[in-house]
Amino acid sequence: MSNRPALGGLALAVGLLVLVPLAALVGTALDIGAADLAAGLGSTGGPVLNTVVTGVAGTLVAVVAGSAFAVLTERVDFAGRRLLRVMMLVGLIVPGYVSGIAWLNAYGPAGISDRALGVQLPGLQGPLGISLVLGAEAAPLVFLLVAAGLATRAEPDLERAARASGASAWTAFRTISLPLLAPVIGGATAIAFVLSVTAFGAPAVLGIPAGFGTMTTRIYRDLSFAADPLAFGRAITLAVLLAVAASVVAALAGWLLAPARARRSGVPGGPSAVAVPRMGSGRLATAVVAALAWALVLLAVIVPLVALVLTALTRAVGLPPTPDNWTLANFNTVLDTHAWAAFGNSLVLGALAAGGAVLLAVLGLVAVRGRARGVAAALVGLSFAIPGSTLAAAVLIAYGPLLRDTLVIILVAYLAKFWVLAFRPLSAALEALAADFGRAARASGADALTAARTIILPLLWPSLAASAVLVFMFALHELTMSSLLYGPTSATLAVVVLNLQQLGDPTQTAALAVLVTLLVALVSLPLAGRLGAFASARWRG
Amino acid sequence: MSDQSQSSPVLDCRGVSVAYDGTPVVDRVDLGIGAGETLALLGPSGSGKTTMLYAIAGFLPLSAGELWLAGRRVATRDGGEPPERRPVAMVFQHYGLWPHLDALETVAYPLRRAQISGNEARRQARGYLEQMHVDHLANRRPAELSGGEQQRVGLARALARRPAVYLLDEPTAHLDTALKAELQDELARRRSVERAAAIIATHDVDEALALADRVALLRAGRIVQSGTPTEVYERPVDEWAARLTGPASFIERDGRRLMVRPDWVMPGGDLHVTVEAVRYRGSHTDYTLAAGNDRLLARWPGPPRHEVGARISVGLTSTYRLPPSDDR
Amino acid sequence: MATLIVAGLAVAACTGPATSDTITLYTSVTQDTVDAVLGALAEVHPELHVNVFRAPTGQLDARIAAEQRSGGVQADVLWATDPLSTESYAAQGLLRPLSSDALSVVPAQYRSDNFVGTRLLNLVLVAHAGLAPQPAAWHDLTDAAYRDDVALPDPAFAGSAFAALGYFASAPGYGMDFYRQLKANGAVQLQAVGDVITNVANGTQSVGISLDKSVRDALDKGSPITLIWPQPGAIAVYSPAAIFRSSRNPAAAATFVDFLVSVAAQTAIAGTGWQPVRSDVPWDKSGPALDVDWAQVFGQQQQLLDQYRVIFGQ
Repeated sequence: MSNRPALGGLALAVGLLVLVPLAALVGTALDIGAADLAAGLGSTGGPVLNTVVTGVAGTLVAVVAGSAFAVLTERVDFAGRRLLRVMMLVGLIVPGYVSGIAWLNAYGPAGISDRALGVQLPGLQGPLGISLVLGAEAAPLVFLLVAAGLATRAEPDLERAARASGASAWTAFRTISLPLLAPVIGGATAIAFVLSVTAFGAPAVLGIPAGFGTMTTRIYRDLSFAADPLAFGRAITLAVLLAVAASVVAALAGWLLAPARARRSGVPGGPSAVAVPRMGSGRLATAVVAALAWALVLLAVIVPLVALVLTALTRAVGLPPTPDNWTLANFNTVLDTHAWAAFGNSLVLGALAAGGAVLLAVLGLVAVRGRARGVAAALVGLSFAIPGSTLAAAVLIAYGPLLRDTLVIILVAYLAKFWVLAFRPLSAALEALAADFGRAARASGADALTAARTIILPLLWPSLAASAVLVFMFALHELTMSSLLYGPTSATLAVVVLNLQQLGDPTQTAALAVLVTLLVALVSLPLAGRLGAFASARWRG
Repeated sequence: MSDQSQSSPVLDCRGVSVAYDGTPVVDRVDLGIGAGETLALLGPSGSGKTTMLYAIAGFLPLSAGELWLAGRRVATRDGGEPPERRPVAMVFQHYGLWPHLDALETVAYPLRRAQISGNEARRQARGYLEQMHVDHLANRRPAELSGGEQQRVGLARALARRPAVYLLDEPTAHLDTALKAELQDELARRRSVERAAAIIATHDVDEALALADRVALLRAGRIVQSGTPTEVYERPVDEWAARLTGPASFIERDGRRLMVRPDWVMPGGDLHVTVEAVRYRGSHTDYTLAAGNDRLLARWPGPPRHEVGARISVGLTSTYRLPPSDDR
Repeated sequence: MATLIVAGLAVAACTGPATSDTITLYTSVTQDTVDAVLGALAEVHPELHVNVFRAPTGQLDARIAAEQRSGGVQADVLWATDPLSTESYAAQGLLRPLSSDALSVVPAQYRSDNFVGTRLLNLVLVAHAGLAPQPAAWHDLTDAAYRDDVALPDPAFAGSAFAALGYFASAPGYGMDFYRQLKANGAVQLQAVGDVITNVANGTQSVGISLDKSVRDALDKGSPITLIWPQPGAIAVYSPAAIFRSSRNPAAAATFVDFLVSVAAQTAIAGTGWQPVRSDVPWDKSGPALDVDWAQVFGQQQQLLDQYRVIFGQ
């Protein structure tokens, strides 16, 4: 049962946003011809290998850290458990490129750890650093997915049943919860891999200066920095490769995390509200593990952010970040006309993307009902899996002649990538909204439109608003596509930060990075409690 | 509206089928209800009761047959009137109360849709709430109401619609025992006051027998038997129907299969049995009695009179011979 | 919400096409200097609106090349860092010859038919404070005393480094051997001129090649560095401005270029720390400079880069 005009509108929107650019991309790839593509591919072995290495390493870090944290906070009772959860989620707010800059300021040459302890992280500007930052970036999402899995699929009651049958805490976890969690962990791994492989911020900030290129930075370099035509072909090849790899893995993730699987396992009736069972062989072990977790969060999240702020406050490069060298001048300098214009651009793009994404999502929900909605959601999820680099290149090819250097072309790319963010949570909210509500309205004499207006919309409103805020937040974050599509008047804040970083003034770069992070944090404040549920909802079916 | 309302049915389903993905969930159902009549649609979960109600209300399309309400045809397989134009009101299993509206506004909703203005709508809504004895909860939202209270508000909302037919979907399914009994009382009282017709979809045989003028047994989308409560209890059309309409025992006598209801077993008689199990239910006690290969279920008032293993004599006041299966 | 989106789209779309009083500027000049000049421009030519795309020379090159391939350069004016890059655009026919009388105030060695110098960048040495002994001349960088301790900017990224490449490659006594010696001495190639200052300030390397204004700015803020004016002189690079042949508004473009060499603009430029090209604008911060024979190096840009890449890798 579907709504014809809405379906038509939806098809038009998806067509323009996603299908046309992709077709243009594939068309260009075909134009370039197999021979040239192969030639281009020959010189891309390096970036591809680098991408795989950092992707796998980053995924490993993310899955191990995220899963361990989830188990820790969901199953073990220790002091500061809730605070730890919050800290973990801070990672969702800090954009990848800011993380990279922050880590540099913390653990790089002449960084905080260097000045305080004479210790640097070797290889920070290279595969090691990139993998760590990518891992830290993807860990919160893994954490959210596994924590949700622990609550719904590997329900505490199941473990209790095992305990009552004679198993120790660890055995119960190992033989009951872990196998039930396997698909969730598998799905989270796949997602972490897609995120790591398509990431641009961290590799750009940590890899480019050291000449270590990944597929995404190579695409960026070939499209923005290279003057020869061969480079264009190379970029297209990489873009297509990246998209295929990401889509395949994302499809796998979707399959593993699909709710159908959840219904086959687990206990009907929902999670029990009884308190967290205590695990671990005693106070000491628990305390040690908790301390370890806190140490990790400190090193991975808190120290880099503190280092970033300190660097932003430092008067001049080369001086230690001690209070006598503190100044606010960097913030002043960095907020020049260009930055303010970029700030305006980011806000406009964010607001338009948020509004547009919500509208498209509502259109999708109206257009497609029942079983078809699952299919639509899958398609839509695939469109989110398309790497930003690829999407930007595709949009550039398709709409460049008409829209290049305008804000509109960036908006198109944002909408194509982010409307999914609104669709999934809204879809879930609509499902959760008992179908009876609409029916009760109809059976009470309201026609479809009145029922929607008086009943559905007011009840859906909180989810609509939250979706809009989520999209706004992601738009502010966004660097991958903006860096490829911006023009004289359409630079975003993220692009300005990247450009500043490339010009080599760490104090100014840090200052703007701090401001951008504060802005994103401010915007996401309304989401506060629901951030976790929302961010992971886009991946759950 | 035609003045033949006394004789012609208020609701008439003629060969109604409703399909989901090509499979019929309701299969060629013929049903009719007259004014003031209450019909119970009795069947296990998945038998199509809710689907039937939804089709009557207009939430689902027909794949075959015709639906007539209050003398006009409202649906065929080619389409039908939208729900808001059909003279029906619905009471939902899970109450279907809108979280953002308080009880008064919820009951006023259908009145507003009927073009009754603000204050008048609220005044009438309060009246309906009073009829359901929940007017003191007028300003409460669903989250602040118990299950029973919510269902009463739902009923009040249905009353406000002033329909020709009430559709009740498992109205007491999610209430605990005491509230269930209360609501059933309320429904019984309502029945004698209202002249509108009602269909109650339920899997609870006690409810069906207590509240309906006629009971229709629904199995996998087909009506297996339709009759008065007494008819379906005393003369079920087959073994499945027998089990559906109450506790039933089956014995072999003279090569024929007979059904025995627990209240047809009396102490004292020429049947010698052994007590296998005893279950005290407060007002009465159920006994499982073994007679050779047969098992009999007996129900006698009061606390247990016999222990497990006791040998007693019982007699049957009545038996019912199920129609042979090839007759159907 | 729908009206908001339509309005927003309208606003966004307006950032595209140019009006008669709007020109687009592609520049690699530092942001503060651009801002200062635009500020001065607003007082003299309030009707002229300039859209600025600011990027390092390498990125600008790529953008121009890409636009050429897909229908023509979208900018009106180029304000670059070094003559070598600009000359290669002229050689490709991308630039419109300059004919304004106002440009005659610029000394002949700092202009050509197609572009005019607007300021002078001096490549100097920057050293960590307290470094002893300090290098005094360019050749000192190849000394064993500064083994593994020298930071260089990337000619493929920074126009000024590209210009330095041009100078050393053609200057007697240096040649590409100079770079080979630097490499053999363990010199590290970074990216931007600012990176060199950062590393030297942090002590990662002790000495490096950078630009006078950038070093002075960092010094003023308090970085622990010293500016060393090398002997026999700093390498003088002039920053050219040019008009693209594809400009849709050549008159306004010419107005802007003329403005750049006016006293008002030159004062603004000097105010942000760059040596003005006009001799009648006061300036006292420079020492002896080595002029580059640009004509000799024109035409060899790609060769030079390739040779450099052979030495320092990609």
